[in-house]
Amino acid sequence: MIEGLQPERLGTDLTRWTLGPFHGALPGAMRLSLQLDGEIVSHAKVESGFLHRGLEKALELHRWHAAVTYADHLDPEAAIHGELALCLAVERLAGIQVPERAQAIRVIVAELSRVSSHFAYMARMARAVGATTMMHYVLRDRERLLDLFELLTGGRFSINFLRFGGVSSDVTEGFVERVLEAREMIRIRLKEYNDLLSFNHAFLRRTRGIGVISREAALRHGATGPNLRASGESFDLRKWAPYSGYDRIDFDVPVVAEEGTEIPGDSHSRYLQRLREINQCLEILKQVTESMPQGPFEGPKVTPQFQVPMGEGYAAIEGARGQVGCHVFSDGGNQPQRISFRTPSTAHLRLVPQALRAQRVEDVPVILASLDLCLAEVDR
Amino acid sequence: MTAWEEIWKSGMGLPLGAPGWVVLVAAWVVLFVGVILPGAALVGFFERKLGSDLQARVGPNRAGPAGLFQPIADVLKLLQKEPLRGKTPEGSVTWSWVHAMALYSTIVTLPLGSSLVIFNAEMSVFIPFWAALLVSLSVLLMGLSSRTVPGWYGGLRVSAQAITGAFPALIAISTVGLRAGGFRWSQLVDSQGASPLAWAFLSSPFEFVAFLVFLVSGLVLLNIPPLDGGYSVQDIHGGVGTLTQGRRLCLFLLGRFYGYFLWSLITVTLFLGGWKLPGTLYRALEDVSAFRTLAFLEVSWVLLKTTVLMVLVSLLGTVTPRVRSDQITDLSWKVLGPLSFLALAGAAIWMEIFGK
Repeated sequence: MIEGLQPERLGTDLTRWTLGPFHGALPGAMRLSLQLDGEIVSHAKVESGFLHRGLEKALELHRWHAAVTYADHLDPEAAIHGELALCLAVERLAGIQVPERAQAIRVIVAELSRVSSHFAYMARMARAVGATTMMHYVLRDRERLLDLFELLTGGRFSINFLRFGGVSSDVTEGFVERVLEAREMIRIRLKEYNDLLSFNHAFLRRTRGIGVISREAALRHGATGPNLRASGESFDLRKWAPYSGYDRIDFDVPVVAEEGTEIPGDSHSRYLQRLREINQCLEILKQVTESMPQGPFEGPKVTPQFQVPMGEGYAAIEGARGQVGCHVFSDGGNQPQRISFRTPSTAHLRLVPQALRAQRVEDVPVILASLDLCLAEVDR
Repeated sequence: MTAWEEIWKSGMGLPLGAPGWVVLVAAWVVLFVGVILPGAALVGFFERKLGSDLQARVGPNRAGPAGLFQPIADVLKLLQKEPLRGKTPEGSVTWSWVHAMALYSTIVTLPLGSSLVIFNAEMSVFIPFWAALLVSLSVLLMGLSSRTVPGWYGGLRVSAQAITGAFPALIAISTVGLRAGGFRWSQLVDSQGASPLAWAFLSSPFEFVAFLVFLVSGLVLLNIPPLDGGYSVQDIHGGVGTLTQGRRLCLFLLGRFYGYFLWSLITVTLFLGGWKLPGTLYRALEDVSAFRTLAFLEVSWVLLKTTVLMVLVSLLGTVTPRVRSDQITDLSWKVLGPLSFLALAGAAIWMEIFGK
């Protein structure tokens, strides 16, 4: 609780208000039961499980050959991260080496996806506070990134691009140049976004000190990714347990909370954290595209008869929203025995009651948007 | 027989023996159908088109040439919707009628031109003002009788903002009245000139402050974006609007537009020269007794200014994040209130030193 920003109690009769499973303020199909003291949330309860996707079950029912297609649907906004976690886990279990060129391509797509997901996040934040112009601008620029995915993979959201041991196709001619162009565009636009919204007085008043999550609470609930870093913990799997050649790239992990200008763990620091991370994505993209290794882009052909040796494997990557982990079990056949995912939003959803406590009803959509929840990830 | 009756009778071609209430009703209908409905459609259309151009999207382009008929299509669609049976509480229906009556009663005082003002009394500036407060009261009661949480919050926020916005606006009006020497529409307009430099808002720095205070407190009072916490879509789904559908929603939305229009029109009249045309043009037309042309030119001029003001404010509203309603009431009490007093005191001293 930041002093002087919010009254703790109004002392009126308590009201109950249940939002959802479908409500404009919610990030997806979930139910939020609020106990309100005047306009101040005194208690919040979160319920998920309205989507019934059966993604992990579907993975068990098909062959390894088809697994990437399903992992692709884990997080609709950054499809590559689910795919990458699965591929890394399977490659680790089966001992498949990934060619360096394939790794570079994976990193390019992963970072572009991160930027695209963060753009969508900024658009949702802008929408939550009612700044529709910003929302449209960000979405316009995200289209450019989706164009890049389309050029490379044929799909804009669901790209189904990775294969065990590599990627499905090499970069097409001119792709790298277009990535660099997009990079320039984003660099210019970030300045524009800062002018338009990030440090807008009204926006600061809507987000600063709102929905504070302490570092301890974030760690206790298993928060990862930008949300954790906004609370002040410098933890990034790309540094902590590098994969796909991130150890060869020189980049920083920005921690907004350490800059001293932000209230650690509030909605604005979470927003700004993502803005800073986009900058780092641009840096990574620059380095990878400058030193694209030559060579093959795929490993052994993955056929419907593809088999994975018996055992289990785990891999975790730094997704756009946080740590995406994939745990695969194989009985040695051509069908997975069990594949389970660890998704960031599942942990972040548990932070909602705490973030909403003692906040105003008007800030509920802002806080929910600032946590970057993806219900598709939660009900997998 | 009063002056306005004669003007309207001759303007509309009514028989000279027509009773006063017939003229009043006819004038009311003419203004509603001829000014407010097309005004709502046009301002809404321009706002959507300009807004979409500025926001890098297409905007309405299907209904009619360049989407010009989109407002009509929207209204027709709302009109044919069937209301949910048994879902709308009785009280809320009753209060929505009070809401409409309070709003449209102000048509009699619309400052649309030197001859077109129906009710040009000593205190006519304040009539729309009390109507706006009554509107907020009826929104509050609509919300409270709605039996839904968004309705309660919507109603309460609207009324809380109305109370805080009314105070600085009243003081700002006094500032203008001080300069004009009265609160008659004609007096207020005649104290200004036709050129922008002779408009009230540039007459002294304090009048300019009063102009800003009046404009912003109007947004507060009537819950106009970006100061529209009471109708916030994100958390309470549009507040009181959630419980209205179909025709009543149509009426309610038109009412919200009308409130905005009314406020902009008053702002234009008080601070931006109102209907004042260049003196030579005015006298030339008066000399040849071209009263209809004169009235038409005056209406067009004041409506043009109003439209520009409305579109500018609403474009600003799309860029600025929605301010939380407790922050809005804070702004009203702590910033707009003191500023309005400063403007009043400053304007008085200014007049004493420099004259009018």
